[in-house]
Amino acid sequence: MKIRIKPIFYLILFCLAVVTSAAAQETLWVTSESADLKAERSISSDTITTLQRGTELSVQQYESRWYQVTTKDDQTGWVYRGKVSDIQPDVPEGEKKDEGGGLGGLLGGLGGSSVETDAAESARSIRGLSPEAQAYAQKTGTPKQSREALDQVLSMSILKNEIESFLKKGDVGEYAE
Amino acid sequence: MGKKGNHQNHQTRRQFLKLAAPLALGLATPAYAMDLFKMLDPEGKNEDIQKAKQAMEGIGSIAQSAAGIDYETEFPIAESLALEGFQRYGLPVKDQKLQEYVNVLGKAAAKNSIRPDINYYFVIVDSPLYNAFACPGGIIFLSAQLVRSMSDEAELACVLAHEVGHVSHKHALQSIRRAKFFEGLGKIGTINMDSEEGEKYRSMIGDLQTVLFDKGLDKNMEFEADKSGMEFAYRTGYDPRGMIRVLEMLKEKQASATHKGSWFSTHPPLDARLERCYEQLKNYSDASAMATVKDRFMAYRKRF
Repeated sequence: MKIRIKPIFYLILFCLAVVTSAAAQETLWVTSESADLKAERSISSDTITTLQRGTELSVQQYESRWYQVTTKDDQTGWVYRGKVSDIQPDVPEGEKKDEGGGLGGLLGGLGGSSVETDAAESARSIRGLSPEAQAYAQKTGTPKQSREALDQVLSMSILKNEIESFLKKGDVGEYAE
Repeated sequence: MGKKGNHQNHQTRRQFLKLAAPLALGLATPAYAMDLFKMLDPEGKNEDIQKAKQAMEGIGSIAQSAAGIDYETEFPIAESLALEGFQRYGLPVKDQKLQEYVNVLGKAAAKNSIRPDINYYFVIVDSPLYNAFACPGGIIFLSAQLVRSMSDEAELACVLAHEVGHVSHKHALQSIRRAKFFEGLGKIGTINMDSEEGEKYRSMIGDLQTVLFDKGLDKNMEFEADKSGMEFAYRTGYDPRGMIRVLEMLKEKQASATHKGSWFSTHPPLDARLERCYEQLKNYSDASAMATVKDRFMAYRKRF
């Protein structure tokens, strides 16, 4: 039986082309708390939207620590590389938010889940030690200074914009241009 | 011994091997062991395999209940342990600006960790030991001595991120997963500290103290935290070599430093850690171009 080499060769070539094209279409996920999708490859450019943790992105190109990406709803822009990874994060079901939904969505550019974290942080700074920790301190005779020290630590409230301003002043990460 | 005896021995050995493999595997990964039991005895007719399966389910549930507890349950554990931490290692350095500095930096790194959705708190305590540790739930201690011996912000970022790594991976909780307190635990609720439950709770906090203050975590957890420290700091924009510089600094200090209750006694040998950090560094080709922010760090270091 005569084996026809040519068609097999072209078939292999075709398969290789398909595989290569699939590999070129790299997928990333937002792994940081959130990530701003910027219009240009710069922190000072307009923010198209704030992407939530776990958002899937397809990569168009990479340039100087920034990825040009497209979201599933076809928004294209740039994200800083430190905010994304090729390993999909494990986002608990309860924390998943629809695009534009929930408190983060309502407050838009203020930054999604970080707004909720800030709110929770402020609430804790008012509340002080949990009832369980208070009961533990009482039962074990924890000195007053230690309780006050913990209260002081828990009352420290740092907001997202303070962190951004800190990184900007130090030329750190996406602020290093 | 006749043919019958040999046959029985052979059968017993086969049965033993059938059970031993999933059990050994199960100690590391209970889920895989359960799959293997299902493959070996799909209809659930083998009594021995079913007994082993039940035992495995018990181990799995304890491990799950310790490492899988929710944040609301985890945080009071952090608070209770922190209360012990202040007694063991000293009170916070009285400098609000310095404490704010370490909190902003730590939180910046935590936002790029694998667990960015919880609140982290950082405190520098007035201790002469070279030490840092993380209470589960995100309260992180650093000794003044350790911070004073660093040279730039990237080094501090890497150490803070190393501790965030422990919290992210729930290392401390995994270490005490066999504590009686976790058996059948749903949520802490309000514990009556005079009850048996209260006793179990205090015993579990005692176990955590032993692990974090004296014995140290498993060496592989420390290697994983070093890797995470470099990764989270790099993702934030800091030079990941900061981790290596801190370990090199500690190597110089180790001959003259107090070891008990410090990083020297609770962490794996520095050479083993450095070897792995240098390996990890291969992933960061532009490490030298990343931020170190020496001036700002030195300005804060001069304050205490």
